[in-house]
Amino acid sequence: MAEQKHTSKKLRHKFWQFFWRSWAIQSSWNYERQMDMGFMYGMAPTIDEIYGEKPDTAEKLQQKKEAYHRHMAFFNCTPQLTSFVLGLSSAMEEEYADNPSTFDPDSINGVKTSLMGPLSGIGDSFFQGTIKIIAFGLGINMAQQGNIFGPILAMIISIIPSVIVTYWGGKWGYLQGKKNIQRLISNGTINRIMSLMNVIGLMVIGSMIATMIGITTPIKFGKTFVLQTTLDTIVPQMLSLGFTLGMFYLIKKKVNTAWIMAICIFGGILLSVLGIFN
Amino acid sequence: MFWKALIVGLIGVFAMFDSRLLGRENFEQPLIVSTLVGLALGDLSKGLLVGATLELVSLGIVQVGAAVPPDMVLGSVVASAFAILSHTTAQAALTVALPVAVLGQLVAIVVRMLFSSFNQLADRAIDAGKFRKARSYHIVYGPVLYGLLYFVPVFLAIYLGTDIVSGFVRMIPAWLTNGLTLASKILPAYGFALLMSTMIDKKNAVYLFLGFFIAAYGKMSVISVAIFAVILAIILNKFMGNENSAAAPASNSNDLDDLEEL
Repeated sequence: MAEQKHTSKKLRHKFWQFFWRSWAIQSSWNYERQMDMGFMYGMAPTIDEIYGEKPDTAEKLQQKKEAYHRHMAFFNCTPQLTSFVLGLSSAMEEEYADNPSTFDPDSINGVKTSLMGPLSGIGDSFFQGTIKIIAFGLGINMAQQGNIFGPILAMIISIIPSVIVTYWGGKWGYLQGKKNIQRLISNGTINRIMSLMNVIGLMVIGSMIATMIGITTPIKFGKTFVLQTTLDTIVPQMLSLGFTLGMFYLIKKKVNTAWIMAICIFGGILLSVLGIFN
Repeated sequence: MFWKALIVGLIGVFAMFDSRLLGRENFEQPLIVSTLVGLALGDLSKGLLVGATLELVSLGIVQVGAAVPPDMVLGSVVASAFAILSHTTAQAALTVALPVAVLGQLVAIVVRMLFSSFNQLADRAIDAGKFRKARSYHIVYGPVLYGLLYFVPVFLAIYLGTDIVSGFVRMIPAWLTNGLTLASKILPAYGFALLMSTMIDKKNAVYLFLGFFIAAYGKMSVISVAIFAVILAIILNKFMGNENSAAAPASNSNDLDDLEEL
């Protein structure tokens, strides 16, 4: 029992690390891999603990480098829900360090990837789409009457769910991972969860393409023919889908990221100046 | 004016840190930012009023994925300081806020492109075994660069006067602003495509289109599609359960039930 008390203090420290590091995940948000460095930063304490601050053998150093690189992969998720992914990934990293022969480290990124789509779809809708609207809807009303409690109330409504979700997410993800991950992987459940998560993730990405890009065309012929209206009657948002699939094609063709970025920026300016899209 | 500009600049940095270091707790919303500026400059009621006005405009802006909307953080800091310092109305503040917000949008696009090169630097640091250095790109250079890129324009705007800022923003040609706006819509398409490419295969591609068409034809929000997706996944799980239990006797559905208990 005494030992348990000792470890629970250490665990709490770990959970708070997941907490703060998932809040800080967007400090280096970029177009190429989005929150990759943030996730690496979130995983750093776990990896350092496993392989040592200064690994004593060349083998350990190599493993540590691999682990750091593993978490430099593309990642994007609502910050509040990232702590869950951090917790789970930390548990998996520890599992891998304990059983390097039976545990496939690729499954860590597999789980991360299949979780981030659904989690950010749900998380952004919840925090940005629901909590924020409720909090600030109330806040605006009070502020318009000159009441200082407007903004204060808005902040209270914003912060409380956020703190609860972030802390418990990290804790739950880690404990869950510790307890079940090996069993779930060995009997194939994790593969099944991943493919079901993929279904949710892909549907959410599909809906985000339809609702959040909004590329349109200003092309008109004469007074009556507006191209966008015609396109909308066939498939609404088809231009956004078209652009996404075009980008997907470039990625599959392994076109260099720098080129794709340049195409996006200069292509965007050119297409806008020519009046083809807006 | 120096001290006022300094304080307002720091409020801008604090508001920007919200979405960088503090998990986006809505400190960056105009209502909060303007109230803080109002407190700092000694006109709370004007701050509240400007905040409520700007909040109504920006509440609909949801920053999800890679989309970069006009930056209301920068816009509302400058606009509320402007309204208080020059004793104008909240509506007049709006005309200052929007051009500054567009400027902030351009700044944000540039910073995020700059950070793409940090990825390579961090990768190289890891290869060299310099883990602390790799982390610092995220936790030191990121916030510092962001902080400077917010502090400087806000400070200058207040110190030099908002006329100069709106003059500068007016000098940015419309074609460039429009072009970058289109680019900032295409870039998320790239982000979504990256996300897809890690998840999609021939068998499951159909679900992407299912989600797209539900949202496109049904004019449904992401959350409603997510709910349908979860229900679909539960249904699929039933069918997959039958398939799997024939192949592997280990009962998979029990494991999923276990997960729910915890």
